[in-house]
Amino acid sequence: MTTLLNRAAGPRPPRARARERRERERPQRWFRRLVLTPSLAYLAFFTLLPLVWVGALALFSYSPRREGSGPGGLGGANPFVGLDNFTAMFDTSGANPLADAFRGSLVTTLLFAFLVLPLNLMITLPLAAMIESVARRLRPLFRTLFFMPVLTSAVAVAVIWSYVLNPQFGLANSMLTKVRGVSTVIAWINDPSLVVLGIPVALLAVTAAYLWMDIGYNLVIFIAALQGIPSSVTEAAVLDGANAWQRFRHITLPMLKPTIMLTAVLTMISSFQAFDLFQVMTLGGPDRQTRVLALDIYENAFRFQAMGWAAAESLVLMVLVLAIALIQSRLLRTSWEY
Amino acid sequence: MTSLTGPSTDEQPGRLRRAPRLAATRGGNPLARAALYAVLCILSVIAVLPFLWMVFGAFKSGQEIRTFPPDLLPRDWTLDNFRTILSDPEMPLLTFYKNSLFVAVANVVIQLFLASLLGYIFAKYDFRWRQPLFWYLLALMMVPPSVLMIPNYLILSELGLLNNLWGLVVTAAINPFAIFVMRQFISTLPNDQIESARIDGASEWRIYRSVVLPQVRPALATLALLEFMFNWNAYLWPLIVLTENDKRTLPVILTWYSTQHGAQLNLVMAASVLLVIPVLIFFLLTQRWIVAGLTLTGGK
Repeated sequence: MTTLLNRAAGPRPPRARARERRERERPQRWFRRLVLTPSLAYLAFFTLLPLVWVGALALFSYSPRREGSGPGGLGGANPFVGLDNFTAMFDTSGANPLADAFRGSLVTTLLFAFLVLPLNLMITLPLAAMIESVARRLRPLFRTLFFMPVLTSAVAVAVIWSYVLNPQFGLANSMLTKVRGVSTVIAWINDPSLVVLGIPVALLAVTAAYLWMDIGYNLVIFIAALQGIPSSVTEAAVLDGANAWQRFRHITLPMLKPTIMLTAVLTMISSFQAFDLFQVMTLGGPDRQTRVLALDIYENAFRFQAMGWAAAESLVLMVLVLAIALIQSRLLRTSWEY
Repeated sequence: MTSLTGPSTDEQPGRLRRAPRLAATRGGNPLARAALYAVLCILSVIAVLPFLWMVFGAFKSGQEIRTFPPDLLPRDWTLDNFRTILSDPEMPLLTFYKNSLFVAVANVVIQLFLASLLGYIFAKYDFRWRQPLFWYLLALMMVPPSVLMIPNYLILSELGLLNNLWGLVVTAAINPFAIFVMRQFISTLPNDQIESARIDGASEWRIYRSVVLPQVRPALATLALLEFMFNWNAYLWPLIVLTENDKRTLPVILTWYSTQHGAQLNLVMAASVLLVIPVLIFFLLTQRWIVAGLTLTGGK
């Protein structure tokens, strides 16, 4: 309104107009500053400072038990060691048990993530398609049943599954006993000698619990994506005589590709960081067979107080996660093109 | 974007009517249809069985739970386990519920207030550092919690906030994910309303309060539920920060209890039931908004 009036009053020198504009926007500027300044200071204190701190910690042999000399207790009794924490990770001589544990947990984490991802997609995709093809009124019921574990805390899931897998009193062995007619006692999460195809059974057991807890999440995302597929496409395929499998293979899958990519990456990233189930169900045992990276970091930092080493480990985990995120953005860019 | 305003399309009668589902359900092969339902029912049983195992376990006596092979249903239903827990002075359930509730509610309120305010600034204000700041926020979403937990623990210990419920609130007050969602949402609001409010002499705070906030209420409600759920179920950070029992939240106390009473599975299951079921019911009732939020944001 004001600009219109101004223009009617004839052209004004640009500098005056700029000053007027600044004058008019003054309350906005102050509001912005009033909100942003404290928030940014706060943000810096709880994100930037920790990021710098964790980077610094990784260069020291630091334990909060020792009284250091410099800022943050670094230096003095907590000596600067440069990149030693990182080079030690490659120490395969067996002289450094921390390094061996780290590499072991890295392998376990990768194994876990590459178990979870394909199994998750193999269950959730067909399940979503199946739920979407039952009678409309039943769909929310089925979805809710599979979604319930997502709403439950991971700790409760771990406690429940520990009971299900209990060797003597658990549901799993009880069912096996009844089916086979022979009393079966398998120590699913306690026996280090149980290995299937080179994968420890304990890891498979935690994977099963993890999948049970996690599939409902991807399931609802796929169901939403399926609902976004225009019915005209599916109808045309039916008229052309395509059967259910052909429709799934040639319509549903390609149309869902962007969603599948995104979901795959998110699933991967969260399985890299899995902690709760492992900490409650197995504590990394038996024989470190399920000691994943997040658990190794936690134990080193807060049980053994080796925080310099744990900080270096956590940075490796971050690089892994960022690498996946980067690959994700590449993949998504290409898949958006069609 | 629209899914935030309500439940998923299943329950929305006003939506575009889709053609009736095809061959597999309508007319199609009745055998295939029966097989479909059979498979779904088997999978549903697998999904529900561990829950039932927990609930039935909570009603078994200490003696029965230790028989081999166990039955699914208790032979003699008993409430003794619940009585034992509720009268255990080491398990003041009410305190733990209060702790969990405090952490979850404080986090939701503070995070959402800041997220809506900052989301508004990022969406509707023009300033020099807007883009780089926003990228910084986005990058923060990618940083794993295990990276920040060690330095944040040290910061809290410097501040004297260890073993204090506020320690679970202060480190999370600015939530990049929530800011991102709010910014996306507020950018879609028309500028003219804000402009005309300004011309009418409304203060900036007033505009945020009375023009912006009312229009993002559905998004706020969804985010509130999501954040409440994440905080209520959080384990790693509370485990690190809270070291005394009376300060602990429900997930932490559940592991503590189950290690203390590992041999008495009936008690552990009763504790799980008491800690899980009430809030599970609440989440189930609000499920449609949680689902809408998850599918909209893809955030975990």
